[in-house]
Amino acid sequence: MKPSNKKLAGLLSLIFLLSCYATFSQEAPKNDVSIAINYFIDNNQVPHLLVKTKSKVDGRFKPVGDINIKLFLEKDTAGALIANMTTNGKGEATALIPPSLKDRWKASVKHSFLAVFEGNKKYEPAKADLAMSRAKILLDTSADKKITATVWEMKDASWKPVKGVELKIAIRRLDADLSVNEKPSFTTDSLGQASADFKRDSIPGDAKGNIILVAKVEDNDQYGNLSIEQTVPWGTTYLHENTFNRRTLFATRNKTPLWLLLMAYSIVITVWGILVFLVIGLFRIRKLGQEISSST
Amino acid sequence: MENSIPTQKIIQDLLPQKFGKSGKIWTGVLIAFCLVGMFAYYRQLRYGLVVTSMRDYASWGIYISNFVFFVAISLVGSLITAIFRLADVHWSTPLTRIAEIIAVSAIFFASVIIIVDMGSPERFYNLFTHGRLQSPIIWDVIVITTYFFISILLLYFPLLPDIKILLRFKAKAGTAMYKFYSFLGSFWKGTPEQFKISERAINILCITIIPVAFCIHTVTSWLFATTYRPGWDSTNFGAYFISGAFLVGAGGVVVAMYVFRKAYHLEKYITPLHFEKMARIVVLLALLYLYFNINEYLVPAFKMKKPEEAHLNDLFSGEFAPLFWFAIIVGMLLPIIILLFKKGRKPLPVFIVGVMVVVGAWFKRYLIVTPTLLHPFLPMSNVPNSYRHYFPSWEEWAIALGSLAGAMLVITIFSRIFPIIPIQETITEQHETEQ
Repeated sequence: MKPSNKKLAGLLSLIFLLSCYATFSQEAPKNDVSIAINYFIDNNQVPHLLVKTKSKVDGRFKPVGDINIKLFLEKDTAGALIANMTTNGKGEATALIPPSLKDRWKASVKHSFLAVFEGNKKYEPAKADLAMSRAKILLDTSADKKITATVWEMKDASWKPVKGVELKIAIRRLDADLSVNEKPSFTTDSLGQASADFKRDSIPGDAKGNIILVAKVEDNDQYGNLSIEQTVPWGTTYLHENTFNRRTLFATRNKTPLWLLLMAYSIVITVWGILVFLVIGLFRIRKLGQEISSST
Repeated sequence: MENSIPTQKIIQDLLPQKFGKSGKIWTGVLIAFCLVGMFAYYRQLRYGLVVTSMRDYASWGIYISNFVFFVAISLVGSLITAIFRLADVHWSTPLTRIAEIIAVSAIFFASVIIIVDMGSPERFYNLFTHGRLQSPIIWDVIVITTYFFISILLLYFPLLPDIKILLRFKAKAGTAMYKFYSFLGSFWKGTPEQFKISERAINILCITIIPVAFCIHTVTSWLFATTYRPGWDSTNFGAYFISGAFLVGAGGVVVAMYVFRKAYHLEKYITPLHFEKMARIVVLLALLYLYFNINEYLVPAFKMKKPEEAHLNDLFSGEFAPLFWFAIIVGMLLPIIILLFKKGRKPLPVFIVGVMVVVGAWFKRYLIVTPTLLHPFLPMSNVPNSYRHYFPSWEEWAIALGSLAGAMLVITIFSRIFPIIPIQETITEQHETEQ
């Protein structure tokens, strides 16, 4: 091979190696993001939407944070934008229907929502949609502690009762809701009503015995999540006993328990009393010595 | 002590001696450590506790380990002086003052190191203005103060007859020292009435110091055991701490008696018999402490509760495993094995074992304090990863070593000023033996 050809072959080999390096040093493939839209109406007020994002990592779905989502009402246009949001560490973001979309909201009995993620360095673009019918839930109670929940749907510009909707009637507690009786869920009849007898008479309420009843439809394909609350005085009165200002082990120094004060001070006084007695003895020794010195 | 040493010879042998060359070097080294420690403390005062490696997780580092160590070693005063005296054990007489000065200096530096750990020393004032009697920290302050005062009295009362002897050697003492001796004990004439008051006081102190000493170690253990953390959540902690304190205290005495024996040529007074007997005590105490260690570590390890798993694994086979096994093997197992053999109970091997016990005990205190803090039941979120590990900064090492040097310096200077073996008691006992 001629020297010039050798140089050319070497140059080509180098280009080939560099191209291989470029080929093998491609960026890691992006992951897919799954988006879910959840629709909520609490106490028949303005609806809000909860968007959740997750991605499959090591064969398991995990929530994904820092995902920018554009949420639209009906269609992907600037005028229909509900919110521009970013998911938190739990992969969640919430938005209310803004006042600017009030007219569009009232104009129709059915709505669809569209969530758009345009992709980033880690994840591929993704979309999700959700269609919902406008509905509401009402709660009524009678003197004999009977609770009636009614589900209504907007049809032909008026509210119509809905049959066959599964719902829960419960008492709102601190961490979760407690069913009002042994039945975990109820289904509406042809009047859109579901009734339950209250059987938790001894349940603690607030200082006046008030408890909060709640009726809720959860994850319904057509109506989403509806809930309504009502306060009733059906619980037993509960007065919170504040021990903060009492003499307790965890109170401030001026609220030390008397038994502790008595015990501690009696020990301290006894021991230090003995020590004072011994120091007095030392002074007696000193005095005896001085007396001998002065007499000699 | 060897039989029939003339009284004058005893006095001459036991009078404080000037430092020789090695004594001066030793004192100089200790002072150098103290000065470096003081400089490090100056830096801590100037820049704050940020100069230490203590952060939100390990908020107690080697300062508190050192504090627990000092408190532990101070128990030796009650062991040697009080328990042996009440039990009418006479062979321990030459060791009583060594034990007492170790107790006094250790408990003094325990208080000092707590103030160092506070960061701003003026915060000590808050302890009195805002201290709560419900808090074990206040109990510790009360009981440490009490123990310190009792130890001082227990050191001072038996010293009075010796000061009378020291005053007879004005020329040897020098003017300044003579004035100091006069101030401390010129009133002691050695009358029967003075002896009666003094003996009664010493007996009362010996009785009082035992429950107080048990309290100081129990309360110190409660500083840990009353909190809900892996490794500390134990009902056994009081007894565990007391047994450990007895062991390190006995180890400390063994080391000190060997050093003083060599430095001041006290072979006639601190005999191989003393080492033999102290070695037996060390074996007993090491076995006792080993028993409590088995309880403290094997029982939780058998259950291996999830929240404690990380802490235990870190000790047995993780980050702290070398230290943990060093403390167990060098601080307990090897001393037991060595001292079981008669040859192991000779002065030099006993001294080496004493050093092993004391060094092992220091690291054991570190292991009690720090690994637990790095594994809280309720971990903090969003803390920097560096907070999950702890290695002391040079300032912490300097202050800790400075305080250890300080405690040894106090003992060294004390032995320069006062007889490290009680002269009067030695003479009295010799007379009683002769009779």
